[in-house]
Amino acid sequence: MVDIDLRATLAKSRIVGLYHLMAGYKWLYLSALVAGAIGALVRTYYYRLVRHIVDNVLGQSEASGQLPLMAGAFVGLAVLEGGLFYIRGTWSAKTAEGITLRLRNYLYDHIQRLPFGFHDYVKTGELIQRSTSDVDAVRRFFADQAVGIGRIVSLFAVNLVMLIQMNPRLALTSVAVIPVIVALSYFFFGRVTKAYEEYQEQEAKLSSVLQENLTGVRVVRAFARQQYETAKFDRENFGKYRQGRRLAMMHAAYWPVSDILSAGQTVLAMAVGAMMAIRGEITVGTYLAAMGMVTWIIWPMRNLGRLVVQISTGLVSYQRVAAVIREEREDITTGDVSMEAAIQGQVTFDHVSFSYEPRAVLQDSESKKPRKRVKKADAATSDPAATAPQAPVGILKDITFGCEPGQVVALLGSTGSGKTSIVNLLLRFYDYQEGSVRLDGIELRSYPRALLRRNIGIVEQEPFLFSRSIRENIAYGAKGAVSQDEIVAAAKAAAIHDIVLTFPEGYDTVVGEKGVTLSGGQRQRVAIARALLKDPRILVLDDATSSVDTETEEQIQTALARLMVGRTSFVIAHRIQTVMDADLILVLDKGRIVQSGSHTDLIEQDGLYREIYDIQSRIDDEVQQEVAREGAPCVEGGQ
Amino acid sequence: MSDMFEEEEFTTKFNGRVVMRVMQLARPHWRWVVGFLVLIAGTSILDSYFTYLGKEIIDDAIVKGNPSLLVRLLARYGGMTVLQAALVFGFIVLSSFLGERVQYDMRRKLFGHLQELSFSYYDKTPVGWIMARVTSDSERIAELVTWGLVDVTWAVLNITTSIVFMLTINWQLSLLVVGVVPIMMALAFWFRQNILVQYREVRKLNSMITGAYNENISGVRVIKALVREQRNAQEFGEKSGAMYRAAYRAAWLSALFLPIVQVVGALGTGAVVWYGGLRVEVGGMTVGGIQAFLSYLAFMLWPIQDLARVYAEMQRSVASAERVFSLIDAEPDVVDREGAVEIGGMEGEVAFEAVTFRYKEGESVLKDFSLHVRPGEHIALVGPTGGGKSTIVNLVCRFYEPTDGVIRIDGADYTTLTQHAIQSRIGMVLQTPHLFSGTIRENIRYGRLDATDTEVEAAAVLAHAHGFITSMERGYDEEVGEGGNLLSVGQKQLISIARAMLAAPDILILDEATSSVDTVTESLIQRGMAAVMAGRTSFVIAHRLSTIRSADRILVIEGGRIVEMGTHEELIRARGHYYDLYTRQFRRERERVYGMDDRLAPGASAAS
Repeated sequence: MVDIDLRATLAKSRIVGLYHLMAGYKWLYLSALVAGAIGALVRTYYYRLVRHIVDNVLGQSEASGQLPLMAGAFVGLAVLEGGLFYIRGTWSAKTAEGITLRLRNYLYDHIQRLPFGFHDYVKTGELIQRSTSDVDAVRRFFADQAVGIGRIVSLFAVNLVMLIQMNPRLALTSVAVIPVIVALSYFFFGRVTKAYEEYQEQEAKLSSVLQENLTGVRVVRAFARQQYETAKFDRENFGKYRQGRRLAMMHAAYWPVSDILSAGQTVLAMAVGAMMAIRGEITVGTYLAAMGMVTWIIWPMRNLGRLVVQISTGLVSYQRVAAVIREEREDITTGDVSMEAAIQGQVTFDHVSFSYEPRAVLQDSESKKPRKRVKKADAATSDPAATAPQAPVGILKDITFGCEPGQVVALLGSTGSGKTSIVNLLLRFYDYQEGSVRLDGIELRSYPRALLRRNIGIVEQEPFLFSRSIRENIAYGAKGAVSQDEIVAAAKAAAIHDIVLTFPEGYDTVVGEKGVTLSGGQRQRVAIARALLKDPRILVLDDATSSVDTETEEQIQTALARLMVGRTSFVIAHRIQTVMDADLILVLDKGRIVQSGSHTDLIEQDGLYREIYDIQSRIDDEVQQEVAREGAPCVEGGQ
Repeated sequence: MSDMFEEEEFTTKFNGRVVMRVMQLARPHWRWVVGFLVLIAGTSILDSYFTYLGKEIIDDAIVKGNPSLLVRLLARYGGMTVLQAALVFGFIVLSSFLGERVQYDMRRKLFGHLQELSFSYYDKTPVGWIMARVTSDSERIAELVTWGLVDVTWAVLNITTSIVFMLTINWQLSLLVVGVVPIMMALAFWFRQNILVQYREVRKLNSMITGAYNENISGVRVIKALVREQRNAQEFGEKSGAMYRAAYRAAWLSALFLPIVQVVGALGTGAVVWYGGLRVEVGGMTVGGIQAFLSYLAFMLWPIQDLARVYAEMQRSVASAERVFSLIDAEPDVVDREGAVEIGGMEGEVAFEAVTFRYKEGESVLKDFSLHVRPGEHIALVGPTGGGKSTIVNLVCRFYEPTDGVIRIDGADYTTLTQHAIQSRIGMVLQTPHLFSGTIRENIRYGRLDATDTEVEAAAVLAHAHGFITSMERGYDEEVGEGGNLLSVGQKQLISIARAMLAAPDILILDEATSSVDTVTESLIQRGMAAVMAGRTSFVIAHRLSTIRSADRILVIEGGRIVEMGTHEELIRARGHYYDLYTRQFRRERERVYGMDDRLAPGASAAS
């Protein structure tokens, strides 16, 4: 799968990092470069051939018999050069594509193993961009740019050496301007990289304005804000236009200057060479060959700037990819407890405190100013409210409670009170800072994360389904192969089977953007089936039924009830009626447990629970009175 | 969705009409186009001229030993260089500016059009597809207008000027050399076809890989919770492996192509040396002439070699253009009628008269639906998902128009009004409220752009949002994050209520707005909603029956029809659908209060 651990390839310097990245391909790539260099050497023989023809063959009738041979020699050289270039092309492609494959696979695995402490702070789009377009820029670095540099260097070196061999004085005058060209291109490279980055950032801004507009299209229309939105978009769009022009001006300033310098060099070499030829110091053939070689000394330098620019973007991209690789993974398999251990489901929280630590992520090691990042609550999951630290600083303070296997613990409290944080700790999505959490009497930190997660099932408020078939979604969390019967059984227990059968393709129906859109209640029941197949010891149910209609709610409640049998369950709820049956109710407020006990205990006490209860029962009373006033029967009937 | 949103294939042939249409985009900037075409032509001709000067230096200055002519020729060469630099400067500026400008225009046009398109378009078009049209495709169109033109002009001119200069040196040899051109062309096209097939595969796989990353990131919580990491990585490995193979095959073909072209070129070189060499002896050819021929040959072959790349890129751009044009050509279903009027405000009387509506042919969502809503009346819509509640609301907003029948606002057929007139007077609070990046203040102000800070805060106070806002560190200036993600759903709802409050609409739509929040926030939301509804015609879609008791009229919608209608009391008395819905929930609550259903155990709620 992933052949080498790319974290081991990271280095302080980007170039060194890229070099390590080539592990296993170094010789292949080196051979490609050498083939290119030999190809450059072959090219110089083409000019020596020209010299020979001009000086010894042309216009000399006794030598004209050589002409067919000379013509054949040209073709022969081309075949040789072509063969070498073919080798260079395929081997460098093999290296580049191999490294790209390695990067893609590693990043994919890496991203899903990075902790929430990372995902909370990074936008989805940003991460996708680094995994796709930046990786592609690294590919181009190996496929085109490094090879290009190799080509330039070898052409320059080979032709210069050959020219020196032919006539040192002429050679010397042919390289006079080169330091200036190199310095200029270096200066330009620094400037243009920065401008290009800004250009790309502007593109990202434009994209996010667009995306918000498209996803919020109902709001835009409902407030008839099309003009306002258009103006907002136009600001970013025009900004991009301006940045693009700025970038163009930089290019427009550089290339002509570089052109003039190169041409100046050519004219100088021509003047010196032609004078020497006129004086008879060199032959006309030597002049011609020398001018040909001078072209191949200057041409690479003219293109050095372009390659340097491309390499600079390649390096920036590598840096952005490396920043992702540099992030620490969360270890899911190691822990004192064996992966095979059976879990009973007894949970104890003992004076646990926790806060989300804001952290800097994706620090690009070589960039001077780390980019400013805004904390995003949790765009990575489908439902921010249910899963994210609900306030910018979510906290837990001194949480103590315990439950026996099979019991139901209800977590009640307002948004941001810490309900989700408790669940996050239990799954070791985050680690607590103080106190101790024990599962079956053993400290939670001793458990490998994978073991915990295999034994804890979650049904989220708005479950995330993958754009695959319903069958695959249900089987998604199950260990090993799952039979059709098992899937159908789970679907039946989750009360989704009948609905699935109404789809034309049944269990093979693909959900998501490319398939059918399921309603919230349907998605939830698929998630319940998914959790059923996973068969966890501990269950976490996020207030599952708040966004569906009454009928669906009942079906879901039934399905949930089946799911909860014999499992320790944590129920996150906003309503008294969903928590009152729990063995233990924890009332949370600002990260503390303010009340705990059973419904009957809590109803006796003054406190938040009764306050909530009163509000809800007041509603109930009114309902009851109203029905009573209409003479409707309360309890009997309706069976 | 349909196949149309799969990554499109390249079109098999060049669609001339599309190319013309793309070129039309550059028309407002035709001066720039003419400018850079002239400049690129200049550079191309100068390039050929440099070679010709090189020949003169050899033949007239060196071979004839004329130093003063050499100085003159070199001075001319230097002067031309400066001219060349100037041309290059102008050409880069003009073509880049044009490219950026066309891209800017294109995106502007697309965005504007997107603001006009109907909901039916959004219903069937994934956001990602639209995004790609506006971002990468418009970039490629700009490339077609600039680099496409540059490449074609440059290629044509290089070939013609080379041939012209060769003809002036020796016409017989020219004809001989030009003979390799058709071979070269044939080769280029054969390789193009094959490389293109591979690239098509690469592109398809690439979009699959991007999709896989997207899901991997968005679903990371589920992946972690279900410990799917290893299997996911394996599955991904298959995709990326296929990508590797396709990309390598494409690179292999390219690596094969250039050497072959070079060898064919060498055949031309051989011909020049052989035939040209013989001519030098008998006269009619010079050493400089042979050298120039070799240069011109290279000049001419370069664009031909490049033909494959240019053609492939142009095809890609044309395919991009076709997609973009399909977006631009999408007609909004709902358009303002001729002579539609703008009105300042409305009473809020809404009437459906025998309205039938279907999204697709043959599937009526609403059938012969009639309803008369008095100004200020509060209508509650209940019923199962898919029954038609949302459709009714969408029709009121004129996001869709009735397939049959008439909807009247204040007695007038609402198609006689502009969409703006209607939509600017309708407020909306959605189940999953959408906020925009920016501060809380900016989001509330979205309701009325010219509202003062005091008015914004007053609206928040009325919506019961002021409390939580002021408890935040930066208060109204707190950033809400991308899509409002820094706030909870309840907080977002409160802000969206404040936003609707500020808009002071005449008709209000509330879609399941009380769900998924805690009790305290919910009661704030309830109060906020009551405040915003006061005195306004409103339609509430609600599943929580307790929230709709206060409605003036409750409509039970099922299968696109009103199955029951009346006040809460009337419907309770009628003992129909509503009564069932209501009492079922009510009974459960009662049982719990009395401790009768004392465990949330299997079967407990299934009994009902």
